[in-house]
Amino acid sequence: MLKLDRQFLFGKLKGIYEVTCIKENPLQFILKEMMKEEFIDGVIGTTQEGVKVKPQLFIAPEEIRLSRLYFHSGQNTFLKKAIQKYRLNKIAIVAPSCIFDGLNKTQYYGIGCNWAKTAVALKVGILCLGITSEEGLECELLDITGESKEIVRNYLSPEGYFFETNSGEKIKVNMETHHHYINSGCKYCLNLSARGSDITYIPLQNDRSGIFILRSERGWRTLGILQKKFPEAFKFRLLGFKDISYVEDLLRQKLILNIDYILERVEMGLPVPKWNSNRFRKFYRLWNSVNDVNIEEEAF
Amino acid sequence: MFFLGQDFNFDSDFKVKLGFFHFSSCSGCQVAFLDMFEDLVEILDTVELAYSNMLTKKKDVPRLHIAFAEGALCIEDKRHLSLAKELAEKANIVVTVGGCASFGGIRRLSVGSQAPQPSHQSFIPLTEVELLKQKIKYAIPGCPPNPSLLYNFMIALLEVNEDFLQPFEFMANSKDACGFDVVKEVINKGLCVGCGTCVTACPSRAMNFNYHYNRPTFKPTLCVHCGSCLAACPQSFKPYPQPIYT
Repeated sequence: MLKLDRQFLFGKLKGIYEVTCIKENPLQFILKEMMKEEFIDGVIGTTQEGVKVKPQLFIAPEEIRLSRLYFHSGQNTFLKKAIQKYRLNKIAIVAPSCIFDGLNKTQYYGIGCNWAKTAVALKVGILCLGITSEEGLECELLDITGESKEIVRNYLSPEGYFFETNSGEKIKVNMETHHHYINSGCKYCLNLSARGSDITYIPLQNDRSGIFILRSERGWRTLGILQKKFPEAFKFRLLGFKDISYVEDLLRQKLILNIDYILERVEMGLPVPKWNSNRFRKFYRLWNSVNDVNIEEEAF
Repeated sequence: MFFLGQDFNFDSDFKVKLGFFHFSSCSGCQVAFLDMFEDLVEILDTVELAYSNMLTKKKDVPRLHIAFAEGALCIEDKRHLSLAKELAEKANIVVTVGGCASFGGIRRLSVGSQAPQPSHQSFIPLTEVELLKQKIKYAIPGCPPNPSLLYNFMIALLEVNEDFLQPFEFMANSKDACGFDVVKEVINKGLCVGCGTCVTACPSRAMNFNYHYNRPTFKPTLCVHCGSCLAACPQSFKPYPQPIYT
Protein backbone atom coordinates (compact mmCIF):
# COMPACT_ATOMS: atom_id res chain seq x y z
CA MET A 1 0.00 0.00 0.00
CA LEU A 2 1.20 3.50 -0.77
CA LYS A 3 2.09 5.52 2.25
CA LEU A 4 1.54 9.20 2.81
CA ASP A 5 5.07 9.54 4.09
CA ARG A 6 7.39 12.54 3.71
CA GLN A 7 8.84 11.16 0.50
CA PHE A 8 5.36 11.06 -1.00
CA LEU A 9 4.35 14.48 0.34
CA PHE A 10 7.52 16.47 -0.34
CA GLY A 11 9.43 14.39 -2.91
CA LYS A 12 13.20 14.42 -3.24
CA LEU A 13 14.91 17.51 -1.90
CA LYS A 14 18.34 18.86 -1.07
CA GLY A 15 17.48 21.27 1.72
CA ILE A 16 14.76 23.44 3.28
CA TYR A 17 15.38 27.08 4.17
CA GLU A 18 13.34 29.89 5.55
CA VAL A 19 14.49 32.93 3.60
CA THR A 20 13.78 36.42 4.91
CA CYS A 21 14.48 39.42 2.72
CA ILE A 22 14.66 42.92 4.22
CA LYS A 23 13.52 44.65 1.01
CA GLU A 24 10.50 42.77 -0.35
CA ASN A 25 9.07 39.32 -0.96
CA PRO A 26 12.13 37.03 -1.22
CA LEU A 27 10.92 35.21 -4.35
CA GLN A 28 10.22 38.47 -6.15
CA PHE A 29 13.60 39.89 -5.07
CA ILE A 30 15.44 36.75 -6.20
CA LEU A 31 13.81 36.81 -9.63
CA LYS A 32 14.52 40.53 -10.07
CA GLU A 33 18.17 40.17 -9.15
CA MET A 34 18.58 37.07 -11.31
CA MET A 35 17.23 38.99 -14.25
CA LYS A 36 19.55 41.92 -13.55
CA GLU A 37 22.48 39.49 -13.45
CA GLU A 38 21.22 37.92 -16.71
CA PHE A 39 20.87 34.44 -15.26
CA ILE A 40 17.34 34.61 -16.62
CA ASP A 41 15.86 36.80 -19.34
CA GLY A 42 12.16 36.53 -18.58
CA VAL A 43 9.71 35.39 -15.95
CA ILE A 44 6.33 33.78 -16.60
CA GLY A 45 4.23 34.05 -13.49
CA THR A 46 1.04 35.62 -12.30
CA THR A 47 0.27 39.17 -11.31
CA GLN A 48 -2.61 40.54 -9.31
CA GLU A 49 -5.10 43.39 -9.49
CA GLY A 50 -7.17 43.20 -6.33
CA VAL A 51 -8.74 39.74 -6.31
CA LYS A 52 -8.07 39.23 -10.02
CA VAL A 53 -5.08 37.02 -10.73
CA LYS A 54 -3.82 36.80 -14.28
CA PRO A 55 -0.74 35.31 -15.94
CA GLN A 56 1.96 37.70 -17.02
CA LEU A 57 5.22 37.59 -18.92
CA PHE A 58 7.80 39.87 -17.28
CA ILE A 59 10.69 40.81 -19.53
CA ALA A 60 12.29 43.55 -17.41
CA PRO A 61 13.29 43.31 -13.72
CA GLU A 62 11.38 46.44 -12.70
CA GLU A 63 8.15 44.98 -14.15
CA ILE A 64 8.12 41.96 -11.85
CA ARG A 65 5.16 42.11 -9.49
CA LEU A 66 4.18 38.60 -8.50
CA SER A 67 0.72 37.72 -7.34
CA ARG A 68 0.26 37.12 -3.61
CA LEU A 69 -2.98 35.18 -4.07
CA TYR A 70 -2.46 31.69 -5.47
CA PHE A 71 -0.04 31.59 -8.37
CA HIS A 72 -2.15 29.84 -10.87
CA SER A 73 -3.91 30.95 -14.02
CA GLY A 74 -2.86 29.69 -17.45
CA GLN A 75 0.84 30.61 -17.39
CA ASN A 76 1.48 28.29 -20.32
CA THR A 77 -0.51 30.58 -22.62
CA PHE A 78 2.58 32.83 -22.60
CA LEU A 79 5.09 30.16 -23.62
CA LYS A 80 4.88 30.76 -27.35
CA LYS A 81 5.00 34.53 -26.94
CA ALA A 82 8.09 34.29 -24.74
CA ILE A 83 10.00 31.80 -26.87
CA GLN A 84 8.91 32.60 -30.41
CA LYS A 85 8.06 36.31 -30.26
CA TYR A 86 10.56 37.66 -27.73
CA ARG A 87 13.18 34.94 -28.40
CA LEU A 88 13.76 34.41 -24.69
CA ASN A 89 15.88 31.38 -23.91
CA LYS A 90 16.46 31.60 -20.16
CA ILE A 91 12.95 31.79 -18.80
CA ALA A 92 12.01 31.31 -15.16
CA ILE A 93 8.53 29.94 -14.56
CA VAL A 94 6.68 30.45 -11.29
CA ALA A 95 3.73 28.07 -11.07
CA PRO A 96 2.19 25.14 -9.22
CA SER A 97 2.73 21.56 -10.35
CA CYS A 98 -0.22 21.34 -12.77
CA ILE A 99 1.24 24.11 -14.93
CA PHE A 100 4.56 22.26 -14.94
CA ASP A 101 2.76 19.13 -16.15
CA GLY A 102 1.85 20.98 -19.33
CA LEU A 103 5.31 22.50 -19.59
CA ASN A 104 7.05 19.15 -19.02
CA LYS A 105 4.93 17.59 -21.72
CA THR A 106 5.71 20.41 -24.14
CA GLN A 107 9.40 19.99 -23.35
CA TYR A 108 9.35 16.21 -23.63
CA TYR A 109 7.33 15.84 -26.84
CA GLY A 110 7.71 19.22 -28.50
CA ILE A 111 3.94 19.43 -29.12
CA GLY A 112 2.66 22.93 -28.55
CA CYS A 113 5.59 25.28 -28.25
CA ASN A 114 8.70 24.88 -30.34
CA TRP A 115 12.03 24.31 -28.56
CA ALA A 116 10.57 24.78 -25.06
CA LYS A 117 13.06 22.13 -23.95
CA THR A 118 16.03 24.47 -24.17
CA ALA A 119 14.32 27.74 -23.24
CA VAL A 120 13.43 27.21 -19.59
CA ALA A 121 16.19 28.05 -17.13
CA LEU A 122 14.43 27.76 -13.78
CA LYS A 123 11.21 26.20 -12.51
CA VAL A 124 9.94 27.68 -9.27
CA GLY A 125 7.12 25.49 -8.01
CA ILE A 126 4.49 26.77 -5.62
CA LEU A 127 3.09 24.62 -2.85
CA CYS A 128 -0.59 24.61 -3.77
CA LEU A 129 -3.53 23.35 -1.73
CA GLY A 130 -5.99 23.80 -4.59
CA ILE A 131 -7.21 26.95 -6.28
CA THR A 132 -10.64 28.44 -6.78
CA SER A 133 -12.05 30.77 -9.39
CA GLU A 134 -12.94 34.33 -8.32
CA GLU A 135 -16.54 33.26 -7.82
CA GLY A 136 -15.50 30.12 -5.97
CA LEU A 137 -13.39 32.21 -3.61
CA GLU A 138 -16.32 34.55 -2.98
CA CYS A 139 -18.61 31.61 -2.18
CA GLU A 140 -16.01 29.99 0.05
CA LEU A 141 -15.71 33.20 2.05
CA LEU A 142 -19.47 33.50 2.36
CA ASP A 143 -19.49 29.94 3.65
CA ILE A 144 -16.75 30.58 6.21
CA THR A 145 -17.52 34.11 7.41
CA GLY A 146 -21.05 34.74 6.18
CA GLU A 147 -20.06 37.96 4.47
CA SER A 148 -18.43 39.07 1.25
CA LYS A 149 -14.82 40.18 1.48
CA GLU A 150 -11.91 40.94 -0.82
CA ILE A 151 -9.09 38.43 -0.45
CA VAL A 152 -5.67 39.62 -1.48
CA ARG A 153 -3.36 36.95 -0.15
CA ASN A 154 -3.08 33.35 1.00
CA TYR A 155 -0.36 31.79 3.14
CA LEU A 156 0.55 28.94 5.46
CA SER A 157 1.34 29.34 9.13
CA PRO A 158 1.73 26.93 12.07
CA GLU A 159 -1.95 27.61 12.88
CA GLY A 160 -3.10 26.42 9.46
CA TYR A 161 -4.02 27.74 6.03
CA PHE A 162 -5.09 31.40 5.92
CA PHE A 163 -6.62 34.00 3.62
CA GLU A 164 -5.87 37.68 4.20
CA THR A 165 -8.36 40.40 3.27
CA ASN A 166 -7.45 43.85 1.94
CA SER A 167 -8.19 45.25 5.42
CA GLY A 168 -5.61 42.90 6.92
CA GLU A 169 -8.10 40.48 8.48
CA LYS A 170 -6.89 36.90 8.65
CA ILE A 171 -9.34 34.10 7.92
CA LYS A 172 -8.48 30.52 8.79
CA VAL A 173 -9.56 28.06 6.13
CA ASN A 174 -10.72 24.57 6.93
CA MET A 175 -9.31 22.05 4.44
CA GLU A 176 -12.64 20.27 3.92
CA THR A 177 -14.46 23.51 3.18
CA HIS A 178 -11.67 24.55 0.85
CA HIS A 179 -11.76 21.18 -0.91
CA HIS A 180 -15.44 21.70 -1.67
CA TYR A 181 -14.88 24.97 -3.53
CA ILE A 182 -11.68 24.28 -5.46
CA ASN A 183 -11.33 23.60 -9.16
CA SER A 184 -12.36 20.00 -9.86
CA GLY A 185 -9.03 19.39 -11.61
CA CYS A 186 -7.27 20.18 -8.29
CA LYS A 187 -9.25 17.49 -6.51
CA TYR A 188 -7.19 14.64 -7.92
CA CYS A 189 -3.78 16.30 -7.75
CA LEU A 190 -1.17 14.30 -5.86
CA ASN A 191 1.71 16.66 -6.44
CA LEU A 192 0.79 19.50 -4.11
CA SER A 193 4.39 20.33 -3.25
CA ALA A 194 5.49 20.66 -6.91
CA ARG A 195 7.90 17.75 -7.07
CA GLY A 196 10.07 18.02 -10.15
CA SER A 197 10.67 21.78 -9.87
CA ASP A 198 14.03 23.35 -9.01
CA ILE A 199 12.71 25.25 -6.00
CA THR A 200 9.39 24.95 -4.18
CA TYR A 201 8.19 28.17 -2.59
CA ILE A 202 5.81 28.26 0.37
CA PRO A 203 4.34 31.69 1.26
CA LEU A 204 4.35 32.54 4.96
CA GLN A 205 2.45 35.02 7.14
CA ASN A 206 5.23 37.58 6.92
CA ASP A 207 5.25 38.57 3.25
CA ARG A 208 8.98 39.19 3.39
CA SER A 209 9.78 35.63 4.27
CA GLY A 210 9.05 32.31 2.67
CA ILE A 211 10.08 28.68 2.84
CA PHE A 212 12.26 27.48 -0.05
CA ILE A 213 12.55 23.76 -0.65
CA LEU A 214 15.61 23.28 -2.81
CA ARG A 215 15.33 20.25 -5.06
CA SER A 216 17.89 20.48 -7.83
CA GLU A 217 21.49 21.56 -8.23
CA ARG A 218 20.21 24.51 -10.26
CA GLY A 219 17.95 25.69 -7.45
CA TRP A 220 20.72 25.22 -4.93
CA ARG A 221 23.21 27.24 -6.97
CA THR A 222 20.67 30.00 -7.67
CA LEU A 223 20.15 30.67 -3.99
CA GLY A 224 23.87 30.23 -3.26
CA ILE A 225 24.91 32.85 -5.80
CA LEU A 226 22.37 35.39 -4.55
CA GLN A 227 23.28 34.76 -0.92
CA LYS A 228 26.90 35.51 -1.75
CA LYS A 229 26.01 38.61 -3.72
CA PHE A 230 23.56 40.10 -1.20
CA PRO A 231 24.65 38.88 2.24
CA GLU A 232 22.96 41.85 3.91
CA ALA A 233 19.62 41.47 2.07
CA PHE A 234 18.88 37.86 2.95
CA LYS A 235 18.64 35.88 6.15
CA PHE A 236 18.73 32.12 5.70
CA ARG A 237 17.55 29.69 8.35
CA LEU A 238 18.08 25.99 7.79
CA LEU A 239 14.89 24.11 8.61
CA GLY A 240 14.32 20.48 9.41
CA PHE A 241 11.15 18.49 8.84
CA LYS A 242 10.19 19.21 12.46
CA ASP A 243 10.05 22.93 11.72
CA ILE A 244 7.62 22.44 8.86
CA SER A 245 5.49 19.74 10.48
CA TYR A 246 2.45 22.04 10.05
CA VAL A 247 3.02 22.06 6.27
CA GLU A 248 3.25 18.27 6.32
CA ASP A 249 -0.01 18.03 8.28
CA LEU A 250 -1.85 20.32 5.87
CA LEU A 251 -0.53 18.42 2.87
CA ARG A 252 -1.56 15.13 4.42
CA GLN A 253 -5.07 16.42 5.19
CA LYS A 254 -5.52 17.66 1.64
CA LEU A 255 -4.06 14.54 0.04
CA ILE A 256 -6.42 12.29 1.97
CA LEU A 257 -9.34 14.30 0.57
CA ASN A 258 -7.87 14.09 -2.95
CA ILE A 259 -7.24 10.36 -2.73
CA ASP A 260 -10.78 9.83 -1.50
CA TYR A 261 -11.98 11.71 -4.60
CA ILE A 262 -9.90 9.55 -6.97
CA LEU A 263 -11.00 6.30 -5.35
CA GLU A 264 -14.63 7.34 -5.53
CA ARG A 265 -14.22 8.26 -9.18
CA VAL A 266 -12.76 4.88 -10.07
CA GLU A 267 -15.29 2.94 -8.03
CA MET A 268 -18.19 4.85 -9.57
CA GLY A 269 -16.75 4.36 -13.05
CA LEU A 270 -16.87 8.11 -13.77
CA PRO A 271 -15.06 9.26 -16.93
CA VAL A 272 -11.31 9.26 -16.74
CA PRO A 273 -8.74 10.59 -19.23
CA LYS A 274 -9.42 8.68 -22.44
CA TRP A 275 -5.93 8.19 -23.72
CA ASN A 276 -4.56 6.77 -20.50
CA SER A 277 -7.58 5.52 -18.68
CA ASN A 278 -5.23 3.38 -16.65
CA ARG A 279 -3.91 6.44 -14.79
CA PHE A 280 -6.57 6.62 -12.08
CA ARG A 281 -7.04 2.87 -12.10
CA LYS A 282 -3.31 2.33 -11.77
CA PHE A 283 -3.37 4.54 -8.70
CA TYR A 284 -6.39 2.64 -7.37
CA ARG A 285 -4.50 -0.64 -7.73
CA LEU A 286 -1.38 0.82 -6.12
CA TRP A 287 -3.35 2.27 -3.25
CA ASN A 288 -4.98 -1.06 -2.52
CA SER A 289 -1.98 -3.27 -3.21
CA VAL A 290 -0.21 -5.00 -0.36
CA ASN A 291 3.26 -4.63 -1.87
CA ASP A 292 5.28 -1.88 -0.30
CA VAL A 293 6.56 -0.37 -3.53
CA ASN A 294 7.06 3.35 -3.75
CA ILE A 295 6.26 4.05 -7.38
CA GLU A 296 3.94 7.02 -7.04
CA GLU A 297 6.22 9.00 -9.35
CA GLU A 298 5.26 6.64 -12.16
CA ALA A 299 1.56 6.67 -11.39
CA PHE A 300 1.31 10.46 -11.46
CA MET B 1 14.22 -2.43 -35.53
CA PHE B 2 10.64 -3.19 -36.46
CA PHE B 3 10.46 -0.77 -39.39
CA LEU B 4 13.46 -2.31 -41.19
CA GLY B 5 11.48 -5.34 -42.37
CA GLN B 6 12.51 -8.97 -42.75
CA ASP B 7 14.70 -8.49 -45.83
CA PHE B 8 16.98 -6.06 -44.05
CA ASN B 9 20.71 -6.68 -44.47
CA PHE B 10 23.13 -4.82 -42.24
CA ASP B 11 26.01 -4.94 -44.77
CA SER B 12 24.28 -3.19 -47.60
CA ASP B 13 21.58 -1.10 -45.87
CA PHE B 14 23.49 0.76 -43.20
CA LYS B 15 21.24 3.82 -43.36
CA VAL B 16 17.51 3.89 -42.69
CA LYS B 17 15.70 4.95 -45.86
CA LEU B 18 13.14 7.71 -45.44
CA GLY B 19 10.67 9.13 -47.89
CA PHE B 20 8.38 12.16 -47.88
CA PHE B 21 5.09 11.94 -49.72
CA HIS B 22 2.96 14.91 -50.58
CA PHE B 23 -0.81 14.70 -51.01
CA SER B 24 -3.21 17.61 -50.83
CA SER B 25 -1.64 20.13 -48.47
CA CYS B 26 0.43 23.31 -48.30
CA SER B 27 3.77 21.42 -47.92
CA GLY B 28 4.23 23.13 -44.55
CA CYS B 29 5.03 19.81 -42.91
CA GLN B 30 8.03 19.24 -45.18
CA VAL B 31 9.12 22.82 -44.54
CA ALA B 32 8.85 22.12 -40.78
CA PHE B 33 11.15 19.13 -41.37
CA LEU B 34 13.70 21.49 -42.93
CA ASP B 35 13.25 23.95 -40.07
CA MET B 36 15.17 21.59 -37.82
CA PHE B 37 18.33 23.20 -39.28
CA GLU B 38 21.50 21.76 -37.71
CA ASP B 39 19.54 19.02 -35.91
CA LEU B 40 18.48 17.74 -39.33
CA VAL B 41 22.14 17.24 -40.25
CA GLU B 42 22.56 15.15 -37.11
CA ILE B 43 19.65 12.92 -38.17
CA LEU B 44 20.92 12.60 -41.74
CA ASP B 45 24.03 10.85 -40.39
CA THR B 46 21.80 7.90 -39.58
CA VAL B 47 19.11 8.10 -42.26
CA GLU B 48 19.02 8.56 -45.99
CA LEU B 49 16.39 10.77 -47.55
CA ALA B 50 15.54 8.40 -50.42
CA TYR B 51 12.46 10.15 -51.82
CA SER B 52 10.77 13.53 -51.55
CA ASN B 53 8.96 15.57 -54.17
CA MET B 54 10.49 18.76 -52.79
CA LEU B 55 13.90 17.72 -51.52
CA THR B 56 15.14 15.11 -54.03
CA LYS B 57 15.10 14.83 -57.80
CA LYS B 58 14.10 11.16 -57.87
CA LYS B 59 10.96 10.36 -59.84
CA ASP B 60 10.63 6.67 -58.98
CA VAL B 61 9.72 5.70 -55.45
CA PRO B 62 12.33 3.26 -54.06
CA ARG B 63 11.75 0.70 -51.30
CA LEU B 64 11.52 2.63 -48.03
CA HIS B 65 11.79 1.74 -44.38
CA ILE B 66 9.76 4.71 -43.19
CA ALA B 67 7.50 6.92 -45.30
CA PHE B 68 6.28 10.25 -43.97
CA ALA B 69 3.11 11.39 -45.68
CA GLU B 70 1.58 14.85 -45.54
CA GLY B 71 -1.77 16.06 -46.83
CA ALA B 72 -5.26 14.69 -47.28
CA LEU B 73 -6.12 12.27 -50.06
CA CYS B 74 -8.33 13.71 -52.81
CA ILE B 75 -10.75 10.98 -53.85
CA GLU B 76 -11.17 12.39 -57.38
CA ASP B 77 -7.45 12.74 -58.06
CA LYS B 78 -6.05 9.68 -59.92
CA ARG B 79 -2.47 10.67 -59.07
CA HIS B 80 -3.29 10.60 -55.38
CA LEU B 81 -4.80 7.15 -55.67
CA SER B 82 -1.78 5.76 -57.50
CA LEU B 83 0.59 7.43 -55.03
CA ALA B 84 -1.32 5.88 -52.13
CA LYS B 85 -1.03 2.45 -53.82
CA GLU B 86 2.69 2.95 -54.29
CA LEU B 87 3.02 4.06 -50.67
CA ALA B 88 1.28 0.91 -49.47
CA GLU B 89 3.52 -1.27 -51.65
CA LYS B 90 6.91 0.27 -51.06
CA ALA B 91 6.99 1.52 -47.46
CA ASN B 92 7.49 -0.70 -44.44
CA ILE B 93 5.67 1.73 -42.19
CA VAL B 94 3.88 5.01 -42.86
CA VAL B 95 3.82 8.00 -40.52
CA THR B 96 1.19 10.62 -41.25
CA VAL B 97 2.54 14.09 -40.59
CA GLY B 98 0.29 17.00 -39.70
CA GLY B 99 -3.41 17.59 -39.35
CA CYS B 100 -4.40 17.02 -43.02
CA ALA B 101 -2.91 13.53 -43.28
CA SER B 102 -3.83 12.46 -39.76
CA PHE B 103 -7.25 13.95 -39.09
CA GLY B 104 -8.33 15.69 -42.29
CA GLY B 105 -7.25 19.15 -41.23
CA ILE B 106 -8.35 22.23 -43.07
CA ARG B 107 -9.16 20.25 -46.25
CA ARG B 108 -11.79 18.21 -44.52
CA LEU B 109 -13.57 21.10 -42.85
CA SER B 110 -13.48 23.18 -46.07
CA VAL B 111 -13.10 26.36 -44.06
CA GLY B 112 -9.93 27.48 -45.82
CA SER B 113 -9.78 30.60 -47.94
CA GLN B 114 -9.69 28.54 -51.13
CA ALA B 115 -12.80 26.85 -52.53
CA PRO B 116 -12.28 23.31 -53.85
CA GLN B 117 -11.80 22.98 -57.59
CA PRO B 118 -14.70 21.48 -59.60
CA SER B 119 -12.91 18.19 -60.12
CA HIS B 120 -11.35 18.03 -56.66
CA GLN B 121 -14.15 18.02 -54.17
CA SER B 122 -13.68 15.38 -51.50
CA PHE B 123 -10.75 14.94 -49.19
CA ILE B 124 -10.13 12.31 -46.56
CA PRO B 125 -7.21 11.87 -44.16
CA LEU B 126 -4.79 9.08 -45.05
CA THR B 127 -5.66 7.35 -41.77
CA GLU B 128 -9.09 6.59 -43.24
CA VAL B 129 -7.79 4.85 -46.37
CA GLU B 130 -8.27 1.11 -45.81
CA LEU B 131 -5.33 0.23 -48.06
CA LEU B 132 -2.97 2.28 -45.88
CA LYS B 133 -4.47 1.46 -42.48
CA GLN B 134 -2.22 -1.57 -42.05
CA LYS B 135 0.86 0.49 -42.82
CA ILE B 136 0.08 3.65 -40.86
CA LYS B 137 1.68 3.16 -37.52
CA TYR B 138 1.90 6.72 -36.16
CA ALA B 139 0.15 10.05 -36.65
CA ILE B 140 1.84 13.33 -35.77
CA PRO B 141 -0.53 16.22 -34.92
CA GLY B 142 0.03 19.90 -35.76
CA CYS B 143 -0.41 22.42 -38.53
CA PRO B 144 2.45 22.16 -39.18
CA PRO B 145 4.01 19.97 -36.47
CA ASN B 146 6.75 21.76 -34.58
CA PRO B 147 10.27 21.04 -35.85
CA SER B 148 11.21 20.10 -32.29
CA LEU B 149 8.38 17.54 -32.25
CA LEU B 150 9.54 16.10 -35.58
CA TYR B 151 13.10 15.93 -34.29
CA ASN B 152 12.06 14.23 -31.04
CA PHE B 153 9.85 11.83 -32.99
CA MET B 154 12.64 10.90 -35.42
CA ILE B 155 15.05 10.24 -32.58
CA ALA B 156 12.44 8.17 -30.72
CA LEU B 157 11.67 6.20 -33.88
CA LEU B 158 15.33 5.43 -34.52
CA GLU B 159 15.87 4.46 -30.88
CA VAL B 160 12.52 2.62 -30.75
CA ASN B 161 11.50 4.56 -27.65
CA GLU B 162 8.07 3.03 -27.14
CA ASP B 163 7.13 5.30 -24.25
CA PHE B 164 7.50 8.28 -26.52
CA LEU B 165 5.85 6.68 -29.55
CA GLN B 166 2.80 5.23 -27.77
CA PRO B 167 0.57 8.35 -27.93
CA PHE B 168 1.33 8.82 -31.64
CA GLU B 169 0.26 5.23 -32.23
CA PHE B 170 -2.98 6.02 -30.42
CA MET B 171 -3.50 9.13 -32.54
CA ALA B 172 -3.29 7.09 -35.75
CA ASN B 173 -6.62 5.53 -34.73
CA SER B 174 -8.14 8.62 -33.18
CA LYS B 175 -10.57 11.14 -34.63
CA ASP B 176 -10.22 13.61 -31.75
CA ALA B 177 -8.52 16.63 -33.21
CA CYS B 178 -10.34 19.88 -32.52
CA GLY B 179 -11.21 22.21 -29.66
CA PHE B 180 -14.56 20.51 -29.17
CA ASP B 181 -12.64 17.38 -28.25
CA VAL B 182 -10.74 19.30 -25.57
CA VAL B 183 -14.11 20.38 -24.19
CA LYS B 184 -15.50 16.84 -24.46
CA GLU B 185 -12.50 14.88 -23.24
CA VAL B 186 -10.98 17.21 -20.67
CA ILE B 187 -13.18 20.10 -19.53
CA ASN B 188 -16.50 18.24 -19.36
CA LYS B 189 -14.89 15.39 -17.45
CA GLY B 190 -13.61 17.76 -14.77
CA LEU B 191 -9.98 17.14 -15.67
CA CYS B 192 -8.96 20.64 -16.82
CA VAL B 193 -6.58 22.43 -14.48
CA GLY B 194 -6.44 25.65 -16.53
CA CYS B 195 -2.75 25.52 -17.44
CA GLY B 196 -3.22 27.01 -20.92
CA THR B 197 -1.04 24.50 -22.81
CA CYS B 198 -3.80 23.95 -25.39
CA VAL B 199 -3.89 27.69 -26.08
CA THR B 200 -0.19 27.85 -26.75
CA ALA B 201 -0.40 24.72 -28.94
CA CYS B 202 -3.15 26.04 -31.21
CA PRO B 203 -1.65 27.36 -34.47
CA SER B 204 -4.78 29.25 -35.54
CA ARG B 205 -5.80 30.98 -32.29
CA ALA B 206 -9.01 29.00 -32.17
CA MET B 207 -8.25 28.18 -28.54
CA ASN B 208 -8.30 31.16 -26.23
CA PHE B 209 -8.29 31.53 -22.47
CA ASN B 210 -10.84 32.97 -20.08
CA TYR B 211 -8.83 34.19 -17.10
CA HIS B 212 -11.96 34.84 -15.07
CA TYR B 213 -13.09 31.22 -15.13
CA ASN B 214 -9.61 29.83 -15.65
CA ARG B 215 -10.66 27.70 -18.59
CA PRO B 216 -9.84 27.59 -22.31
CA THR B 217 -12.46 28.82 -24.76
CA PHE B 218 -12.94 27.64 -28.33
CA LYS B 219 -13.84 29.44 -31.57
CA PRO B 220 -14.88 26.69 -34.04
CA THR B 221 -14.68 28.94 -37.11
CA LEU B 222 -10.92 29.35 -36.64
CA CYS B 223 -10.14 25.69 -35.96
CA VAL B 224 -8.12 23.82 -38.60
CA HIS B 225 -8.64 20.40 -37.04
CA CYS B 226 -4.93 19.71 -36.54
CA GLY B 227 -5.07 17.87 -33.19
CA SER B 228 -2.44 19.98 -31.42
CA CYS B 229 -4.65 21.15 -28.55
CA LEU B 230 -5.75 17.75 -27.31
CA ALA B 231 -2.33 16.21 -27.93
CA ALA B 232 -0.62 19.00 -25.94
CA CYS B 233 -3.07 18.88 -23.02
CA PRO B 234 -1.31 17.38 -19.99
CA GLN B 235 -4.55 15.65 -19.01
CA SER B 236 -5.00 13.78 -22.31
CA PHE B 237 -2.01 11.52 -21.87
CA LYS B 238 1.10 11.65 -19.80
CA PRO B 239 4.47 10.23 -20.75
CA TYR B 240 5.38 7.04 -18.94
CA PRO B 241 7.61 7.20 -17.04
CA GLN B 242 7.40 10.90 -16.20
CA PRO B 243 10.46 12.73 -17.54
CA ILE B 244 12.85 13.97 -14.90
CA TYR B 245 14.67 17.21 -15.61
CA THR B 246 17.74 18.21 -13.63
